[in-house]
Amino acid sequence: MKTPITTVPLKNRVSGQFEDATLFQGIDADNLAHIETRWRPLFGLRRFEAGRSGENLSEINAEDAHWEWGKKAIAAIRDPFLYDIFILECGGNTQAIMLVRKGGEKCFSRHPDHPRAPLIYVDFLSTAPWNRPRLVKEPVYKGCGRVLVATAVNLSFEEEMAGRIGLHALPGAETFYSAQLGMTDLGKDREYRGLRYFELPASQATTFFLPEPKPERS
Amino acid sequence: MKRTMTLNLTDAEMGVLEALCEEKGLSKTALVRQALRLYKSIDDRLAKGDKVFIESADKTDKAELMVL
Repeated sequence: MKTPITTVPLKNRVSGQFEDATLFQGIDADNLAHIETRWRPLFGLRRFEAGRSGENLSEINAEDAHWEWGKKAIAAIRDPFLYDIFILECGGNTQAIMLVRKGGEKCFSRHPDHPRAPLIYVDFLSTAPWNRPRLVKEPVYKGCGRVLVATAVNLSFEEEMAGRIGLHALPGAETFYSAQLGMTDLGKDREYRGLRYFELPASQATTFFLPEPKPERS
Repeated sequence: MKRTMTLNLTDAEMGVLEALCEEKGLSKTALVRQALRLYKSIDDRLAKGDKVFIESADKTDKAELMVL
């Protein structure tokens, strides 16, 4: 079962127009069907092509292609006290999905500004393969990942965690979290398959929703 | 839906609760909610047969965590 939370504009890079996307809390069978029947074949095709051309999964932005969202969704639905799942839909399709943890051992800050303070931990976040630069030649919707990260920040505020969020990034997504979202890189985590750990500290959470400043004209 | 309960605590217990709320920047409700989530998260792991260890900062001491 899922509940609509809000509507957000997403830029369709192909048409150049903005379209209304709906953000949902929860997931239903349609979303899982989209992932299995629309996402997975495209991932499979690109992985096959990459295998032939010698590219690795990071280079084609598909390191998460094997994630089994059905199992993750069941875990989240069974334990809503610890997990939340969010879906972004646009154009009759599932454009992105995110699973977060609201408590437990992963939900303590490592940032020097506020060590051990509670945070929302983004366990898994995926965007549809057709929205990914490097995976397809003409990615469609821009900003799906940012919308879901903003949703995690909002949830953190609702839970009195001051907007703090944390996550481990796959290598191909590191630049997105550090350069595009401005999260703090707290280094490789040997306890978590060597993935780099990122946090958005409270000091940056309050300005996360502000538009990026336009470059000054000289 | 949210439900309300009355919690009877000793002065010492309330002192700890208030000190943690101050330190973590949380209301009493949010602190109790986070404490419950942590407790449940660890209890779920132990129920599956996982083990939880606490290691000292200098790594000389390591103890297995048991919960009620």
